[in-house]
Amino acid sequence: MQNLFNRLKAHFPLGEITEQRENLAFITVERAQLRALLLHMRDIEGYTHLVLLTAVDWIEDGQLQLTYLLNNRAEARDVGLRVLLGRDGTVMDSIHDIWPTAETYQRELREMFGIDFPGSPRVNDDFALEGWVDIPPYRRDFDTLAFSEKNFTHRDGRETRDPRQHMKQKLYPDGGA
Amino acid sequence: MALFEPDRSQYPDKNPDGTCDIDLTSGKYLKVWQGPNHPGITGNMSVELTVCGDEVVEGITHVGYLHRGFEKLMERRSFIQCFPIVCRICVPEPDFNEYLYAATVEELAGIKVPERAEWIRTLILEMGRINSYLMYLGGQAGAFGLGIVGQWTTYVRDLMLDRFEELTGARIYHMFILPGGVRDGLPEGFKERLEETLQEVERTLKDVHEVMFQNAVFKKRTIGVGYIDPALFEPFGVTGPNARAGGVAKDVRKDQPYLVYDQLEFEPVTDTASDMFARSDVRRRDLLLSVDLVRQILRKMPDEGPIMTKLPNVLHWKIPRGETYLRGECSRGEYGYYLVTDGSGKPRRVNVRGPSYTHAMALLERLIVNVNISDVAGLMVSLHTYPPEIER
Amino acid sequence: MAINDVLSPFRGWKHLFNDPVSIKDPINREAADRYRGFHQNEIQDCIGCGTCEDICQNGAIDMLPVEGVETVEGDSGLRPRIDYGRCCWCALCVDVCTTGSLTMSNLYKWADSDGDAFLFTPGVDAKEWDGEVRGYRRPEGYSLTPHERVEMREVEPEVRIENFEEIAAGYSIEEAIIEADRCVECGLCVATCPTHMAVPDYIAAIRDGDYDEGLRILYDTNPFSQVCGRVCTHKCEDVCATGHTGDPIAIRWLKRHITDQVPNERYAEIVGKPGPATGKSVAIIGAGPAGLTAAFDLAKAGHKVVVFESRKHPGGMLRYGIPEYRLPYDVLDHEIGVIAGLGVDIRCDTRIGTDISMDDLKADYDAVLLTIGLHLGRSTRIPGTEAKGVFKAVDLLREITNGDPVRVPKQAVVIGGGNVAMDIARSLARLQKQKYGKVDMTVTALETLDHFLADADEIRECGEEGINILDARGPQEVMVSRGRVTGLRTWAVTSIFDDIGRFAPHYNEDDECVHPADMVIEAIGQMADVSLLGEDLTEELEWNRGRMLIDKAGRTSLPWLWAGGDAVAGPDVVHAVADGHRMAESITEAFATVEGE
Repeated sequence: MQNLFNRLKAHFPLGEITEQRENLAFITVERAQLRALLLHMRDIEGYTHLVLLTAVDWIEDGQLQLTYLLNNRAEARDVGLRVLLGRDGTVMDSIHDIWPTAETYQRELREMFGIDFPGSPRVNDDFALEGWVDIPPYRRDFDTLAFSEKNFTHRDGRETRDPRQHMKQKLYPDGGA
Repeated sequence: MALFEPDRSQYPDKNPDGTCDIDLTSGKYLKVWQGPNHPGITGNMSVELTVCGDEVVEGITHVGYLHRGFEKLMERRSFIQCFPIVCRICVPEPDFNEYLYAATVEELAGIKVPERAEWIRTLILEMGRINSYLMYLGGQAGAFGLGIVGQWTTYVRDLMLDRFEELTGARIYHMFILPGGVRDGLPEGFKERLEETLQEVERTLKDVHEVMFQNAVFKKRTIGVGYIDPALFEPFGVTGPNARAGGVAKDVRKDQPYLVYDQLEFEPVTDTASDMFARSDVRRRDLLLSVDLVRQILRKMPDEGPIMTKLPNVLHWKIPRGETYLRGECSRGEYGYYLVTDGSGKPRRVNVRGPSYTHAMALLERLIVNVNISDVAGLMVSLHTYPPEIER
Repeated sequence: MAINDVLSPFRGWKHLFNDPVSIKDPINREAADRYRGFHQNEIQDCIGCGTCEDICQNGAIDMLPVEGVETVEGDSGLRPRIDYGRCCWCALCVDVCTTGSLTMSNLYKWADSDGDAFLFTPGVDAKEWDGEVRGYRRPEGYSLTPHERVEMREVEPEVRIENFEEIAAGYSIEEAIIEADRCVECGLCVATCPTHMAVPDYIAAIRDGDYDEGLRILYDTNPFSQVCGRVCTHKCEDVCATGHTGDPIAIRWLKRHITDQVPNERYAEIVGKPGPATGKSVAIIGAGPAGLTAAFDLAKAGHKVVVFESRKHPGGMLRYGIPEYRLPYDVLDHEIGVIAGLGVDIRCDTRIGTDISMDDLKADYDAVLLTIGLHLGRSTRIPGTEAKGVFKAVDLLREITNGDPVRVPKQAVVIGGGNVAMDIARSLARLQKQKYGKVDMTVTALETLDHFLADADEIRECGEEGINILDARGPQEVMVSRGRVTGLRTWAVTSIFDDIGRFAPHYNEDDECVHPADMVIEAIGQMADVSLLGEDLTEELEWNRGRMLIDKAGRTSLPWLWAGGDAVAGPDVVHAVADGHRMAESITEAFATVEGE
């Protein structure tokens, strides 16, 4: 894939390149470059298939990573373009005019990660959740355990013991042998 | 055979943002919800139709009835604990989830699976494909009122589930393919019993072919209907039989062979008409191809050898930071898992890319315009939509 | 529209008179052999380790005490209770079960009007599927945890017989991480360890690469971790959960690994400083593990500690009993040095009873601790044992440690099958190799080989070094000729204990053997040298079958005198460490009580 990287580097500033396999690589790019790079990949390099568009929450770095995964079927290769955005008021340019199928991915990302894609068709419609009032749930600061403790009741009867503590209580409660 | 040609001057144009200015008070339009519980829907998904007369003017898909939050659940579970839940993402063909999850974990952990395990995995995937197509055929015929096909295919599917039960220990959620290999080898006499079941499948397929594919009513309802222009394949991410019925031989098993597909002989099944009939026929022939593949696998697979590689202690298994994507060809198209690890004992992100995600949302909304309302169910089923993989 | 398309569907009518394809009796349909159905648990085999609870992905398992199941060493007494409202029947619990007691039947139907009935304890709550043999068991060749222990690299026998250098190489970091990874963190080992070391915690520290934390955890309970990491009898490993279906975790080697990784200079920093001075003083007699552990604790508590040691160097049996190839002297010196670094005053070459009397100690110190060990060897007292050329193992081991000139026998026989017998046999074998170029040692014991009291590794290494081990032989007479030992006459042993467990060996007199030797060494047990007490004190104290009577905290019948370690409990290093802790705690408490009054 080195040839591909070289060709791209000639036209675009590229960030970190991670070659995961001989036929899969991830390239970090700036938000401003993404659109032009996507069009270049689709029209010139033959990566016509948008496999997926999803996000990864790197909360400890204060970043959301958007991954645009493209596939070139003829060459059987995949390239993932990573765009790193801040976690507050996250906005990204929509690509629904390049790939119409992207509108679905963008609607889901808006709902689940809180990333807005202004202009994407019906981006503010509900995707899977209805009447959701909490923070976007796929973000790592959304604690599912706390949510379920708060909103649902437990059925009685569950309790457990730790084997080590239990053995101490039974066999050497005062700490000796 | 003439297609239904409506007077399109009656229809409102679509705005750039995708909405349609439809005046529901004008009396011209009727809003009909199809789903989420409807015989014409495969799984729980609804389409909000706006109909003018009996022609659909706009369709808005709604998913979320099966959202169980798998991707979020996996954030809190260790790698081995995620393995029992991934199969539940797709009910009729759960094995792809298990295989792709295991394969992505293995790739990032640097583990290689023994050869015999790869053969058993391929066997299970192909058996799963047969099951999935059987369910599809029942659904497709049922959408047009041809109920008998569903009865037959569900029966044969049940026999296949018996084979799964004796191989994996469960009928639907097999939990058999896990990172490192598979749980066990083939039981005594399994090959013979599977061969009997495959013959039963072939007999039933012959009946289905006679009753459904050589059926004037079915042909009239499906030929020329639900046409997908091949130019839409790439922009809308159409893969699998939906694309192959339009002449584009997209099959991951051939494009990027995984498991042992490079040792099996087959050609992707295609058609050119790209209408509902073509898609159904492609799937029927693909089912027969799967039967042949299963026979090849049973002949070629090694009978001895380890089925599981040595794993580190799964209770505190940490995988170094990385990300990967692996795809497979399931019965509906390209199924993929995107796994991101961060060096801890739990996955950072698992994203499941189901084929229905692209087929049943943007594509369906595009196709459904100008379709007769009675064809909507058939169209949805012909895209082979399994809603759980859309909202996971 | 072809005519075939109109007629073809009617071919479906050929099925019109078929039997409906239903199962005749769907209610009683038996599932496949491997079907993952309802749980079974073999309660006798289950050890309550809780690994099933740890792996369950939906938190369906609780570990709870069960009526009629005792908590003993190696078995927590808890048993898994499964919530069938949460179970997904993935069988990960069965796969990871350390004893293989948890399995699944292939039954799958259970209807009950009481929802809480589905919270049940398999094997305890009787169910119709309890005896079912069909169902899911962990298949062969499939394992979620590694079963094999990482081998400890040892110097080859041909090389190590030439010298007294340490045999075990110690784990490298990679080896240790692999071995530490095998631990399932059940914690069953903690109760068995006499001093309750936090084993799962320090094993986790190895996985995390945090050796400072690991050492800190070790010193919480055992200031002799370098020693125990080499020579402990590792009862913890005998109850290790992974030992039931695989090799137990090499807990002892992992402990040693932590001590190996922290540079000697860092120990003092991790161990910390002594507490503020309390003004109290304690005299400890015997600088062995019991005494020095107590010294460590008392010094950290701020008391002034003086340890009186009759020999030239501190360490007790650690130095004078355990050969250098098992426990190098510099390692022992370092570990004792850490204790001395807390301000403990160790005075060697000072014999209580001779140089200083017990009365002096009673007068000058607020408490006295007697940890004199078992430095006298027992004798079989068979005919001939009074001859020159018959020695006690402990005496010879002491001489070898001291560097005294030891008479190296051309041929020797050791009586005894414990670790001391192995120690003396292997030490003398090395001296034989050095002096004569060849080994001629025989070990005889009453027990059969599989019942030898010595560690299995010791026996194996002993055999590798060319020593002849003859089991089930009872010594009858030391053959003496013209004042010199010529051999040991033995009979085959048919039984050792009588039907109520008393020591009463029986022999087959027809199976007699004379083992030629110019030296016979007795390694059949040890006694304490209590002569230091003097007549009056010996009168005053209370005794229990030859040993000082003590309570659980180590107090003797006299309020100022504590006793512990080998001398009162029998030979075991880590037990002595535990005694040291108990006595130190008791002494500190006694001081506080006095203050309070």
